[in-house]
Order: sequence, then structure tokens, then C-alpha cells
Amino acid sequence: MNCIILKNQKLAEGFFYLSIKPKALIGGIKAGQFVMVRVGTSSVPLLRRPMGIADFKVDGSEFGLLIQITGIGTRLLSNLVPGDNLDVLGPFGNGFPPDLKGEKIWAVAGGTGVAPFMGIAANNIFGNKFKLLLGARSADFLLQTSFFSDRGIPVDVSTEDSTKGFGGLVTELVDKNIKSNGKPDVMFTCGPISMMKALASVADEHNIPLYASLENRMACGFGVCLGCVLKKQNEDRFFTVCRKGPVFLSSEVEILNT
Amino acid sequence: MNTPNISVNLAGINLRNPIIAASGTFGYGLAFQNFLDLGNIGGFVTKGISLKPRVGNPDPRICETPSGMLNSIGLHNVGLEKFITSKMPEIRKVDTSVIVNFFGETVEEYVELANRLDQVEGIDGLEMNISCPNVNKGGSSFGTDLSVTCNVVNLCRKATKKPLIVKLSPNVGDIVEFAKACEDNGADAISAINTLVGMAIDIKSRKPLLAKRTGGLSGPAIKPIAVRMVNECYRSVKIPIIGIGGIATVQDIIEFTLAGATAIQIGTMNFVDPAICEKLAAELAPLLNELGVDNLHDLIGQVS
Repeated sequence: MNCIILKNQKLAEGFFYLSIKPKALIGGIKAGQFVMVRVGTSSVPLLRRPMGIADFKVDGSEFGLLIQITGIGTRLLSNLVPGDNLDVLGPFGNGFPPDLKGEKIWAVAGGTGVAPFMGIAANNIFGNKFKLLLGARSADFLLQTSFFSDRGIPVDVSTEDSTKGFGGLVTELVDKNIKSNGKPDVMFTCGPISMMKALASVADEHNIPLYASLENRMACGFGVCLGCVLKKQNEDRFFTVCRKGPVFLSSEVEILNT
Repeated sequence: MNTPNISVNLAGINLRNPIIAASGTFGYGLAFQNFLDLGNIGGFVTKGISLKPRVGNPDPRICETPSGMLNSIGLHNVGLEKFITSKMPEIRKVDTSVIVNFFGETVEEYVELANRLDQVEGIDGLEMNISCPNVNKGGSSFGTDLSVTCNVVNLCRKATKKPLIVKLSPNVGDIVEFAKACEDNGADAISAINTLVGMAIDIKSRKPLLAKRTGGLSGPAIKPIAVRMVNECYRSVKIPIIGIGGIATVQDIIEFTLAGATAIQIGTMNFVDPAICEKLAAELAPLLNELGVDNLHDLIGQVS
């Protein structure tokens, strides 16, 4: 789909937020889905980049991407200015389950992993059942916290260098929250794989269902290249991240249980 | 001005245009119906089918390289039975030419697959992938051993009356010997080329970027090699050649045609633009007009 850049906002050193308007309504976006973004029109870089959808309007008239510059593709995207065209395919993937029972749903995010929860917040999917626990290495990298607090969603933060909120890892913040407030009915997570692994063992210990948004290198994004596989837990078979995910129950995939 | 003729006859398969989607980049065709009308492309080649389902290689399986990508998917596929019972009924509804790619781990498996697929209605042609490991030869590829290639093509030829296409490996000293071997043993056409073996390394972890260390290089990076090999084959064999390797534009299609290709396949670029086969099909007749050519067929092998 052809899109136009509405805004490119620098959030912190190496992090930016693209606000994007599809030229035609795409409709039916679910929080936790992703798009495949073509970077420029040349053959370098060749492949599209899978990017998780951040904020979005349910009618598909607008969505955002929270991007960290990690290589040539993301660096080129960081140069986009309002009015530029962007070639996007999607949305793809399953997204977070929107119809969960339970009164307490915690989203546990690290760094840019806050992105998919912006869509949940913007569209008020879980009302006052929802809470965000966000970790980063330092206060400057606690991204988009006001997006949540502006919408009345409680936000609890941690920083590894103690510059803001709880000093330590976000998984320790989760432990602390469980001790003081009791455990949630379900948790969602998105962030670095090491963080999500640590959280999976916390979830396991407390018997809390955990839905994790995972990623992998992808060539197509819609189940054809079979490049983005992850091994199933206790089974010598694979899931494709693009079709079966990107959101998985933590108990289903080996990568969160090793 | 007349509309130029872009239809081609490929070893008895009538294609409305020379643009075929390549095996391994188009699934079983059905997933692309969200992006294009399969009725507007020449045809597609299915994901390679084996006798039994295969789960494929460990992750990571792909990585990007300059103007290309490496893959070691490991021939992950649903297997013959499921292909016939659950994919073919849907594929039969599609108005395009269907070529089924197949491979075995032994010569016997190839022959059994050719036999079984020969009986399946709705398949217009078979493409043998001979670039896979031969378990009886220590895992070396069928398609890099000349006598093995001769034998397996010969036996599959006897097992099917459908048009039989052999997809050649470029990872050999002289691809022409293999093209001739296919022709001499009854192949109706050859596809050239499959991916080139490559490797990429993460300089921080010092690990290969693919779990299986090496993988097949594809994409625009390999196009000049593919054009050269198609031309070498064209000068040595009479059977039609399907040109494959990094095709991304309609100009690339003409280049492969001039080198000697009767039809072409588009691979990696299906990932970048899933509608590319249809788009290039629409651009082909206008380009022929511009070049003053009435019939695409007149350009085959016409490089001076």
C-alpha cells in the first residue's frame, strides 16, 4: 500500500517515530500486528523491513512506527520527511488477543518494545484493566510514557542506571509489583529477547499466561519465504513468526524457555 | 501498431506470457492471490515437494546481502500427500500454468515423485530440483555430479509424460555439460540458474549469519552470472531455457530473452513486491513496441 509520511519525530538519540497515512484506508488493524516497509526503491537494501505497528486508528486511516536506528535500512527511514512516500505491505500477523478474561492485564516492555502497546492504549482496548511497566537503560530512553499517562493508563518505569523510577531491570519491577499489588491475570510483553526470557520465567513461576511479541528476519512477511521460523517448545517443528505470530504464548516457543 | 505477441510455448506448455514465479518464492501460489491476479501471469512453480513432509533447517535461515539475500530454508514443505490432497484442489481453480517443483534424497525418491505427480490432474509441467543433497553420496548435491544427473534425469523422464524441466545448479565447473546431459537424457527444458552457494559472517559474534553456515545467494546480485550461464547453455542445447536470476525489471526480461531464455522466472523480487510478476507482465508488450519487436519469440538468443 502506498503511504505518506505525516510526521517524523526524534524521540531520543537513535530513536524516531513515523506517523504514516495510507493513501487508501487499510482497516482492521489489530494491536501487535506488523507491516513490511520498503526502504527506498533501489536494490540496496533489497528486502522489506518488518516493523511492529505502534499507535493506529482502527479504520486504518493512520498508524505509527517507533523505530530504533540499527542499520542501513532504519537509518534511511530516519531521513524521511513529511510528504515523502512510503511503500508498505500489511498489516500482517495475529496481534495480541483482544478478548481476554481477567481484571488485570500488564504490558511489560523494554525500549522500543513499548510500541505495540500504544495501539492498545490509543484504542482503549482494555479500559482500566490495563497497566504498562516499561524499562530502559536510562531515563532518556523511556519512550512514549506520556502517551499512556495522557490516556489515564498507569505507567510504572524502571531504569538500569536509576535515572528514573525503579532502579534495576523491568523484570525486577514486575516482581516488586506482584509482591505489592498481587499478580496480574495475564501479561503481554515486547522488548529485547533476554528481557522477555527473564519475564517468561517470572510468568512461569507465578503461573501467569504471558503473550510475547517476537521477531525474526523476514523476506516476505506473509508466510511464503519460510525464513522467519522459531522452534516450537518440546517439538521438532517450527512456527513462522509472520503467520503464526508475531504474538506467541511464552510456553509455545523454545526461544523463551531455554 | 499491433499489440506484440508475448505468449510463449515452453516445451508444450502454453504460457500467456513468459513470466513465471519461481519455486520457493511463491509458496503454493495461493498466498499471492491477495496481491495479484494469477490469471495475468504466465505461471508459477510450487515450493519444492518431497515424498515426506520436511520441517526444514534451524533458524536463522535467511540474511540480506548487497542486492540479494542468502537462504538455507532446508526444503521445508508439506510433503507429497498433503500437497495432492489439500493444495492441488485449490491450485486447480487458478487460471494459470502450474509447474510443480520436486526433489528427493535418493534417485528412487525422485522417480517415485515423478511417477506420482504424473498422475495428478492440473499440473502442466514438472521441474526437478537437482541441487539438493544426495544421502547416498555423502550429502553432495545430485546436480553437481554429471553421472548422477544423467541417471536421475533419465529415470524421471521414463516416469512421466508431463513436460520435464530440470533446474540446474550454477555451483559447477561448467554448467553447459549439465545442460547437455539433461537434453541427452530426455529433459524437455532447463531452468537456469538455481542459487549460488554463499556465506555471510557477523563480525561481532564471529558467527555465520545462517545456522547452516552457508546458503543460496539470490536477487539482483546474481543477474550477470545467470545471464552468462543462460547464454552459454543456449549456444549448446536445443531445448528451451527458463532464465532465472535476479530479475527485477521488464528490461531484465528482455536481457534474459536475448541471452537465450524462452521464458523467465522471478524469485527473490516476489518478496520485495508480491505483485511484481503481474506488473512486469503489463509492461512487457509496451516495451516490445518501443523496441520495434512484434513477437517476443523473435528475440530469443538474439544477442550478437
